[in-house]
Amino acid sequence: MNRALLRLSLACLAMFALLLININYVQAFESTSLAAEPGNARIFNQQFQYQRGSIVASGDHTGGGVKIAESRLVKGTSTYRRYYPFAQVFAPVTGYDSIYGATGIEAAQNKDLAGTDQRLAVHNLVGLLTGKPKLGASVYLTISAKAQQAAYQALQAQSRQDNGLPAAAVAIDPSTGAILALASYPTFNPNAYTTFSGKKLVKIDNQYRHEKSQPLLNRAINATYPPGSSFKIVTSATWLSGNASRSPQSPVLAPPALKLPNGNLLHNDAGEVCGNGNPQLILAFYVSCNTAFGNLGIKVGAAALHHQADLFGLNNSNLTIPMPVSASRYPLEPDPSLRALSAIGQLDDQVTPMQEAMFAATIANGGTLMTPYLVQNVQAPDLRNIQSASPTALSRPVSPQVASEIGQMMFQVTHNPGGTAAATANPQVAGVDISGKTGTAENGVNNAGLNDAVFTCFAPSSNPKIAVGVIVQGGGFGADAAAPIAVKIIKAYLGLP
Amino acid sequence: MTISSVFAAVRGSPERVSLPRGRRRTELLMLGFAVVVVLFAYANVGLGLNGKLPAGLVTYGLTFAVIVFAAHLAVRRLAPWADPLILPLAALLNGLGLVMIYRLQESGRDGNPGHPVTLMTTHTTAYQVIWSAAGVAAFVAVLAVIREPRILQRYTYTLGALGLVLLAIPAVIGTSINGAKVWLSIGGFSIQPGEFAKLALAVFFAGYLVAKRDVLSLAGRRVLGIDLPRARDLGPVLVVWAASLLILVFETDIGQSALFFGLFVAMIYIATQRTSWLLIGMILFLFGSYVASKLFGHVGQRITDWLHPFAGTNAANSAYQLVQGLEGMGFGGILGTGLGHGQPYFVPLVQSDFIITAFGEELGLTGLMAMLLIFGLIVQRGLRAAIAVRDPFAKLLAGGLSFVLALQVFIIVGGVTRLIPLTGITTPFLSQGGSSLVASWALIALLMRVSDTARRPAPQPIQDEGMTQVVRAG
Repeated sequence: MNRALLRLSLACLAMFALLLININYVQAFESTSLAAEPGNARIFNQQFQYQRGSIVASGDHTGGGVKIAESRLVKGTSTYRRYYPFAQVFAPVTGYDSIYGATGIEAAQNKDLAGTDQRLAVHNLVGLLTGKPKLGASVYLTISAKAQQAAYQALQAQSRQDNGLPAAAVAIDPSTGAILALASYPTFNPNAYTTFSGKKLVKIDNQYRHEKSQPLLNRAINATYPPGSSFKIVTSATWLSGNASRSPQSPVLAPPALKLPNGNLLHNDAGEVCGNGNPQLILAFYVSCNTAFGNLGIKVGAAALHHQADLFGLNNSNLTIPMPVSASRYPLEPDPSLRALSAIGQLDDQVTPMQEAMFAATIANGGTLMTPYLVQNVQAPDLRNIQSASPTALSRPVSPQVASEIGQMMFQVTHNPGGTAAATANPQVAGVDISGKTGTAENGVNNAGLNDAVFTCFAPSSNPKIAVGVIVQGGGFGADAAAPIAVKIIKAYLGLP
Repeated sequence: MTISSVFAAVRGSPERVSLPRGRRRTELLMLGFAVVVVLFAYANVGLGLNGKLPAGLVTYGLTFAVIVFAAHLAVRRLAPWADPLILPLAALLNGLGLVMIYRLQESGRDGNPGHPVTLMTTHTTAYQVIWSAAGVAAFVAVLAVIREPRILQRYTYTLGALGLVLLAIPAVIGTSINGAKVWLSIGGFSIQPGEFAKLALAVFFAGYLVAKRDVLSLAGRRVLGIDLPRARDLGPVLVVWAASLLILVFETDIGQSALFFGLFVAMIYIATQRTSWLLIGMILFLFGSYVASKLFGHVGQRITDWLHPFAGTNAANSAYQLVQGLEGMGFGGILGTGLGHGQPYFVPLVQSDFIITAFGEELGLTGLMAMLLIFGLIVQRGLRAAIAVRDPFAKLLAGGLSFVLALQVFIIVGGVTRLIPLTGITTPFLSQGGSSLVASWALIALLMRVSDTARRPAPQPIQDEGMTQVVRAG
C-alpha cells in the first residue's frame, strides 16, 4: 500500500502546488486588472482609509499658515473625511474632494495629497514596514489667508449690494507670480461635497449645477469678461514701445468724437471732452479717453497690438496655476475701424480676472510678467520638501522704461483729482499709494447689458508688493464697484488699518 | 528513528544506548512559537483597527494558550510517540482562525463596528474560543478512547451506519442555510453532522477495504485492460457511496459530495493499488458533475460564475461573492494590507467559506502561501505516518484522512481563488463554526494516534546474561 500512498502524496503535492501557483497569479499578476474592475469597493474606499494631506494657505508667512483643507478621522471609525474650515472662502482655490471626483487644487495636486505620487513611494514603503498609517503630503499654497478672506468678504458685500451680481478678484505678488488671493462669488461650500453618501452627493451637486448664479464656476480663472478701458494699458504699451521718442508727455489726438475709417463715430464715455482735444498721453490715460486710444489702436497696427496682447498673456490657453486658466482673448483685428474698438477693450476682447491682475503685475514688475502659480511647496509626511516653486518669467511685454512710464500714468489714475479712480482708490482711502486702471466695459448684444466694472492695480506704487485684478459682472463703473474691492484686498494683505 | 536503527545502535555501541525519543519537548517549543505568533497577530488586529492593543489580549490569549497546552499535556500522556509537528501546526491554524474571526467581528458589516457581519454576533469570537476548547476536548477524548487504531476496526459497520445517519439527519429534520441543507439546529447551536460523517465514513471505508482488499484487487474480470472487481465485493461500498451522494445532492451541498467521493476513490486506490479505480472514479466523477450541472440549476450557475465572474461578462453579477473575494486578494497583493487594515468585510459570509480571502487580503500572498504550506505540512505529516505505520487499517485510515484534508483545502481554497468552480465547504480550522473545528481536531487526533503507533518503538528484547530473554512491553 505504500506505493499507492506515495503516489497519493504526489497528488496532494500537486494540489497544493496548483493552489500556490493560482494565488500567485491572483495576488501578484491579476491584482492590477482586479483593481481596475468597475465597482471595486476597496479601491473606491482606499482614498478614505488614510489621512489625505492638508492644504495650507501659507502666503502670509512662508512655512506656516492656515489649514484650509484637512482630513479628519470620523469618530468611532477608521474613515477620514475631508473638512474645509473656512467653507466657501477658499472654495475657488481648494475646490472639493468628493467620493466621485475632485476639483481645484484637490484635483490638480491629488497625487501629492493622496500620497500616491512616485516621490512618496519610498516613504510609504517605510511606513508600511514600520506600521505607520499612510499619510498624504501637505500642499502649501502661495495664498494669503488675509488677502483671500478680505477678497471674499468684499466680493460678498459688493454682490449683496448689487442684487447678487457675480464677481471675482485675483491678487498676485508681481515679483514672483505667487497668487495671493483667488476669489469668486457666488461660490459653493466644499463641505457639502464631503459626504460619503453617493445619493446625497449627486443631489447636492445637481442643486449647485442648476443654480442660476453658477456657484461652481470659478470666475477668477474660468470666466472671461470684456476688459474695457483697462485694455488701454496694452494699447499704451504698444504705442510707447513702438518708438523711443514717445512718452506719457507726448501729445495724442483726442477729439470728443473720433471719426472712424468706416464712417462711424467713436465717442468718449458720456461725450466727455479730453483736455484740449490734443492732450498728453498721460491725461488721456487717467481720464480714460476712448478717442485717444481708439486712434492709437488704429495707428500702431493690427499685428503690433495683437503681439503686445500676446506678451501680456492673452490668447494663451496653456496657462496652468496648476489649475488650467481659461484663455483671455484678443483676436487679430485687421479692420482699423474695429481695431479702434478693440484697442479700448471692447468688441471681441475677453479677459479673466486673473488676466487683469497680470496686467498690473507686469507693470509693477518692471515690464516682466512672472508666471502665476499657487503651489509654494509640497511637504511629504516626513517634513521633507518634495517640490518647491521657483518663480519663472512668462514673458517680457515691455521694457523697464515703458513699464515705469505706464506706472506713472496708472499712478495718476488714483492720485490726480481728474483720475477715474481718484475718489475710490486714493491714498487717503487706501492708506497706501495705489497705481491702477479702471475699466467700465459695455456688454451684451448692442451693449444692452449692464456694464462690467473692472479694476487692475498694484501697490505700494513705489515698491509694489501686490497686484490685483477685479471684475464685477454688471457692476457699472470700475472705479465704483471694482476699485473698492481691490483696495480692501490690498489693505488686508499689507496689514493696513 | 526506525526500529532497525535502534537495534543497530544497541549492537554497535552497548555503552551509548540511545532510546528513540518522542520529541515532546520539540512539540512544546513549537507550540509556544505558535501561541506567540497568534498573540502577535491578535495584538496586530487591535492595533490595526483602533491603534490600541485589543481588550481581550490577556483573556483570549491565555485561554488559547491554556487550551493548546492542555492538548500538549494530553499528548504527553496518551500519545507520547506521536509526530511533534502536527499539534503545533493545527494549533497555529486554529489560533489564526480565531484572530481573523475576532477581526471580522470587530470591524463589523461594511466596516461599521456594532453592526455584525451576517451570521455573526458580537459574541462570535467567544463562541469560537469555546468551540476551540470543545475541539481540543474532542482531540483528547479521541486519543484517550482510541488507544490503538485497530480498536476502531471493530466498529467498521457501526461507524458506516452512523456516518450514513449523520449524513441523512439534516435532510430529514435539518435547517437550510444559504442554499445548503446541511445544518441541524440544537438549542441555538447549528451543527453540521456531515463534518463528523466524514470521519465515520473514513473509518468505515478503511475497515471494509482492509477486509476486502485482496478480493478487490485480485478477483474479477479483465475488461479492456482494466481489472473490474466482482459486483458482490463492490456492492456495499457502492451502496454507501451512492447513498452519501444521493443524500448530499438532496441536501444540495456539492462540496461535501465531491469531498466524500474523493475520499472514497483515494482509499480504494490505497487499498487495491489499482490505477483502474482512479480511472473509474474519475469517469464517475466527471459524469456525475455533468449530470449535476444539467439537473441542478445552481450547479450550472456555479460553473458559469467560475468561467465568467466579472462584470464585463456577467451582467447578473451572480459571482458577486467570488469577485469580492478576488478583489480583496488582489488588493492585498504580495505583502497584504496588514491585519485590521483591509476591508475583507465586503465579501459576503467572509467568516465562513471565504475566510481564506480575508487572510489573502490582510496577510497578502506571502501570508497566504505560508498558511497553505501549514496545511500542506499537516497533510505531509499524516501521509508520513500512514507510510510508517505497519497495521494496514491504520495505514488506510491515516492515508484517507490526510488526503481528505488536502482535498478539502483544495476544494475550498481553489474555489474561492477561482482555480475550480466554487463549492461551499468549510476551511478546516479557520472558518467560523463549531462542527468543522471539532471534526478537524478529531481528525488531527486520529492522525496523531496513527503516528504514535508508527513511531512507538517495538518491545525491546533485553539480554540477561545471554541466557534468558525478557521482553519488556512497550
